[in-house]
Amino acid sequence: MTFSVLVQSIISGLLVGGVYALIGVGLTIIFGVMRVINFAHGDIMMVGMYMTYFLFTLFGVDPFMSVLITMPLMFVFGAIMQKVFINRILGTLPQNQILLTIGLGLIMSNAAMLAFTSDYKILTTSYSSSSFNVAGISISQPLLTSFLITCVITAGLYWFLMKTDTGQAIRATAQDREAAQLMGINVKWMSILSFGIGSAMAGTAGALISPTYYIFPQVGSAFTLKAFVITVLGGMGSIVGATLGGIIIGLVESVAAVTISSDWKDVVVFSIFLLVLLIKPSGLMGKSRM
Amino acid sequence: MKPFNPLFSQRGASAVQVTVGIVVIAALFAFPQFVKSPYVLHMMILFFLSTLMGQSWNIIGGYTGQYSVGHAAYFGTGAYTTLILLSTKEIAPWYGMWLGIAASIILALIIGSICFRLRGPYFVLASIAVAEIVRLTALNLTSITKGAEGILVIDIPAFKIGETVITDFSSKVPYYYIALVLALVIIGVTWLVQHSKLGYYFQAIREDQDAAHSLGINLTIWKNSALVISAAFTSLAGSFYAIFVKFIDPSTVLPLDLSVQIVLISIIGGIGTIFGPVVGSLVLVPLSEALRSNVIAEGLINSGLVSETSGIGIFLKEHLAHAHVLIYGILVVVVILFMPEGVLGYFRKMTAKRKGGKA
Repeated sequence: MTFSVLVQSIISGLLVGGVYALIGVGLTIIFGVMRVINFAHGDIMMVGMYMTYFLFTLFGVDPFMSVLITMPLMFVFGAIMQKVFINRILGTLPQNQILLTIGLGLIMSNAAMLAFTSDYKILTTSYSSSSFNVAGISISQPLLTSFLITCVITAGLYWFLMKTDTGQAIRATAQDREAAQLMGINVKWMSILSFGIGSAMAGTAGALISPTYYIFPQVGSAFTLKAFVITVLGGMGSIVGATLGGIIIGLVESVAAVTISSDWKDVVVFSIFLLVLLIKPSGLMGKSRM
Repeated sequence: MKPFNPLFSQRGASAVQVTVGIVVIAALFAFPQFVKSPYVLHMMILFFLSTLMGQSWNIIGGYTGQYSVGHAAYFGTGAYTTLILLSTKEIAPWYGMWLGIAASIILALIIGSICFRLRGPYFVLASIAVAEIVRLTALNLTSITKGAEGILVIDIPAFKIGETVITDFSSKVPYYYIALVLALVIIGVTWLVQHSKLGYYFQAIREDQDAAHSLGINLTIWKNSALVISAAFTSLAGSFYAIFVKFIDPSTVLPLDLSVQIVLISIIGGIGTIFGPVVGSLVLVPLSEALRSNVIAEGLINSGLVSETSGIGIFLKEHLAHAHVLIYGILVVVVILFMPEGVLGYFRKMTAKRKGGKA
């Protein structure tokens, strides 16, 4: 393995990591505000992927432009899901919350299978396989575009949470639900809002990877697991942590694929996950919530 | 002082329950003498297998309160050990299954030593991660497991004691009896667990592990004991599945979906109860088989509700079978939202309400 191959894998890992970060950020916001681990996160992302696919094939909307449509639609989708299902089980046993979201995920993936069959769909754009060279390193154009969009969205979200009143209300709810309620914050509305934002992030991530990834009904579960690894690594509830976690996991996958083998890269990722759980379960940036 | 009557012991079952139990068991043993349809026998075998899987999980999840969502790892270990030994070393399954159990127990102790340091959602996530590592290992260690290609066996050697052939597995009947006995054994084991000191330790851990710990219950030992019992029987279920279906690959015996389905059998029936997994299997197996075998799609067409040539009719016929897991999803959402104690708990509550009048 030459040096340039390693650099190449680091760059593509970094670019993919940006999208992973977006998935992780969505999961971590939901967990932060509601203490619910969303096992349907990858399936929500799958819905975003199909949405992008059909916007492209039926209406010719460019996958990256379709983010403007996918994001608000997925926000509404998540908000409704929270209002109808998740809201009813807040404060019950964590096991029941996990099982409910697992059930919702199964319904989404199997409904997608019913509607669109289990065939792999590929979204081919004019630039799907185009890339450009910088000093002998080739950079995939769709990956770079999605990375840049991810940066913009993450920065925007961070600004929203830090600078706006609503953002502060969400953070207050995440910090202490009861105290926030006593301060006059409508915590139920914040829960709906944060589940909506989490879903919008997952759906957007789905839109961004659809030009470079297969689209099929079961695509979600792999990404749900990846999202857990990312958020636990970064620290459950920490947005900066999830961003960092996403980039680290992207890098680890990509480098493990060239240094060990692409068959074993997920084993490396899960082993790191277990190590983090054992050594520092609070993650890189989080406080312990054990 | 009441006269001693073993049938009326306080903690055990009543005479009526014992009689009903004996009659049901006798009927189940006599069943293949009267019903020869291989399809019906097949369904019964799946029902027993599902009971075995659900009940095994119930011991760790329902009684000890440790929600493992990685039980496919033990199922797959049992299945792979049995079939690898059979196909490469020609070791008969009834020896292979013991090695499968041994392998699963070792795996359970490794998993336990990692995951039992964690609690709640973190335990769930760790159990999934370990099971995924096992699945990926089976997928990629192609020299031993043949990877994604899977392992296929054609002949199951005849079961002999000495020189007498007990059965040569040429029909569904021997599988029926094996599965029935396994299901009865696991129900018996669960009953023993519930009524023994061991079971009280498990339930104390489930209710409040810190309180249990402060009362001198060693969490590590008893959680691992529960997991070992659970893993051993799940492995047995895997071995049985392997010789029953004669083909295994990582996507049928090791996926995350299987782990989830194992959990749902208990959840839907009612966790931490002896008959919960039985009821769960009674609900799930026929429903999921009806979807899988297209009975529902054909029923809708035959009843005239949906025309066979219409778009919907063709669609249902082609696709409904692939989405049989959908029923698991819908059921679990309904159960969690409306019957948090499972179907069995729900009906118990209903009857209690009726007996108690308005209260």
